[in-house]
Amino acid sequence: MNLRKTLVGTAIALGAATFTAGTALAACATDGLPGEMEKPDGFPERALSMIVPYGPAGGSGQVAQAMAEAVTELTKVSINRDHKPGGSGTVGLTAYMATPADGYTVLEHIDDASSAHALDSERPNPAEDLIPLVTSQITFSQIYIRTEEDRFSDWPTFVEWVKAQDGKATIANVSKEGSMERVTMKFITDATGMQIQQISFDKGAPRYGALAGGQVDALFEQPGDVRKFLDSGMFKPILTILKDAPEAFADVPSLTDVGLDFEPLFRFRGFYVAAGTPEDRVKWLQWAFQKAYCEESYQAYNESKFMTLIESFRDTEGSKELITNTIAQYRDVYKEMGLEVK
Amino acid sequence: METFNNFIGGTVTLFGDPIGILIFFGGVVGGMLFGAIPGVSMLTLAAILLPFTAHLSAEHGIMLFSVIYCTGVYGGAITAILFNIPGAPENAPTAFDGYPMTLDGRAGKAVGAAVMCSAIGGTISCVIMMFATAPIAGWAIRAFGPPEIFALVFFGLAVAASVGAKTFWKGWLSIMAGLMIAVVGLDPVGGIERYNFDMPYLAAGIHFIPTILGFFAVSEIFVQAEKKATGAYKAPELSVDFPTFKELWLHKIAVIRSIIIGFFCGILPGIGATLAAFMGYNEAVRWSKDRLSFGKGKIEGVISSETANNSATGAAMIPLLALGLPGGALTAMMVGVFQMHDMEPGPLVFINSPDLVWVVFAAMFFANLSILLVGFLEAKTIVNLLRIPFQFLAPMILLLATVCSYAVRGLVIDVVVMFVAGVAGFFLRRSGYSVAGIVLGLILGKIGEQTFAQAMQMLHFEFTGFFNRPIALGLLIAGFITIGASVYGAFFKKSDVQQSEA
Repeated sequence: MNLRKTLVGTAIALGAATFTAGTALAACATDGLPGEMEKPDGFPERALSMIVPYGPAGGSGQVAQAMAEAVTELTKVSINRDHKPGGSGTVGLTAYMATPADGYTVLEHIDDASSAHALDSERPNPAEDLIPLVTSQITFSQIYIRTEEDRFSDWPTFVEWVKAQDGKATIANVSKEGSMERVTMKFITDATGMQIQQISFDKGAPRYGALAGGQVDALFEQPGDVRKFLDSGMFKPILTILKDAPEAFADVPSLTDVGLDFEPLFRFRGFYVAAGTPEDRVKWLQWAFQKAYCEESYQAYNESKFMTLIESFRDTEGSKELITNTIAQYRDVYKEMGLEVK
Repeated sequence: METFNNFIGGTVTLFGDPIGILIFFGGVVGGMLFGAIPGVSMLTLAAILLPFTAHLSAEHGIMLFSVIYCTGVYGGAITAILFNIPGAPENAPTAFDGYPMTLDGRAGKAVGAAVMCSAIGGTISCVIMMFATAPIAGWAIRAFGPPEIFALVFFGLAVAASVGAKTFWKGWLSIMAGLMIAVVGLDPVGGIERYNFDMPYLAAGIHFIPTILGFFAVSEIFVQAEKKATGAYKAPELSVDFPTFKELWLHKIAVIRSIIIGFFCGILPGIGATLAAFMGYNEAVRWSKDRLSFGKGKIEGVISSETANNSATGAAMIPLLALGLPGGALTAMMVGVFQMHDMEPGPLVFINSPDLVWVVFAAMFFANLSILLVGFLEAKTIVNLLRIPFQFLAPMILLLATVCSYAVRGLVIDVVVMFVAGVAGFFLRRSGYSVAGIVLGLILGKIGEQTFAQAMQMLHFEFTGFFNRPIALGLLIAGFITIGASVYGAFFKKSDVQQSEA
């Protein structure tokens, strides 16, 4: 696995910086920032707009709402959310790039923007063509089965059962070309020798329904998105795709526990402003969004979504590092997978 | 008995609190208004209200959304009937016959049928929901996977090919055109861009709402404008003559059939009321002895569509409450309301918050009943909009349709799509193609392509896999029989006639 070796270098910093379980709860990352900041030349003198490249009901829509409310609570400046879903975030990003760089329009986006740039460098680079204000959610993935499943009960028995199915076992995920899910599944299947058919569901409800109804054998997802199924005992995780399991999932084997040696990929969501925005405005927006991250309402939201199990916060520089490392990591993987990297 | 007692308990909680009553009626009126005004929808209202629900109790917040859902689905029927502008995609089939009824001076009958059938469909599905939420939800997700949903879509398309077109070929070509439009954008499995000609905005695909507005509202304005210019225009007669109970009783089979279809579509996660309305309408056409009169102002078309889409509302709450699986955009927003109150819809809701569940059930039941009362009052008022002369009404409709198209995703391309569809619709209608078929192909095509790809992955790319899934197989066979019957009807029957004539 040469791929693994090349990834270790680029991803080690990410892994080390990310795995600081519990710190967000004890003392919030931006507690040190001043409680107020003077508006530069009166900016903003009207409401801000936030372009969200996904629908209002999904993970992005919800985090955009939580952050917008926290910023408004803190600054008394309203934020109008403008959802432009479609094309896996392409439409919203394209629309955003056409807005003036005056600081009045901010963007919410997820790691898809980084993987899209990794595959096609003509797509905007979130670390260079945009200025990250804050990364407010970083999470890991897990593999889930039905709690009442009787064909397998944990990771070893699952692997054994999948191998016996000769490629006919199925797992639900969002398996778009080059997606975090597909790349991670490639790591897992390469390392275990499993053959498993990935079934792509772009919406959460049919994806979770497919596992609950026994249409598929397993599910690849992030814990915050299936929390209700975990709390109700319908699903149970059998593998945490992290080097070391966080405390909340101490009884679920991690990659190290099951002998899988690859650097995990993360799902992350953050807020951006266009490069070229006047510096004083950027500073005010950085303060507002980073400080809002520690607002009680936002922290409560993150906690409800299992987003405090690993450190979710990155400031501008931290976000740039995260994005840059992620792009490098994806690019290496894509080349290894034989995808055309432009 | 326990169910009845719980229902009474929910009703007492709902109406025993003045704030609850206020929110209930606010939701009823708000849902109807936002559903009825083109350019906004019940989703707009829900999005506006979502942050405020944090300040309400969980019971009030979730009840409010449930009520908006029931009345909002009905509200869109009014503009579909009066102006050929469906308030929401699930009201599109209502326009197929509702608008010709308006042109024919029978707007009151159409609106009355929509009011009564929405109330009947919604109320009955609500009662079923109260009795059987948990077992039905479990059955639906076990029995219906992607292969079954694809087979259902295939069956729907097979039936739809005969709706509204002059000939067999034009019917199928209309459906195929819709399917072709549906493949623009990212493919649903690999995320590969198709037919977007390097235009990033087209990567999101052609949205069906601007397409519906173009094909229905804009093309209709062109048609009427042409009539006005040539002196053939005749203003629709104002009518508040609602259908009698006896008239509706004649269509009891259509109502029952649509309740079953609507309920069935509603419980499938991610499917919802739109497929329900189209399937309800299609089946009405298929079982009718007088198929050719559909699309020309047949009240049964309105009845079937409106019963089915409201029947889907109660059913959509089943996977949401029992499993935490939203059926559509509004039920997905309801998840947000639950979360604002530190709750998650799903099996635990029945254990942890049974009172809340029964307040919601009671509220939905009474919201559907209130459609009858408030709906009639609203309809009596709103049909008067037909008094507005065409030269003032047409620009207003165009403006509203434009706003509505833009509001869907905030993209100018959707407005362009609407006008292109309007022009295309104008010419297609003149030449006997079915714009309904195109819209149906577009809506079902998106669902069908995705579920077909998923089904193939699940069946390991072997078509024979369908043989092991009885429901999917049954629906596919029904679809093929329908196609066979329409081929026979279009060619061989005609040959017989020609031979006998010879």
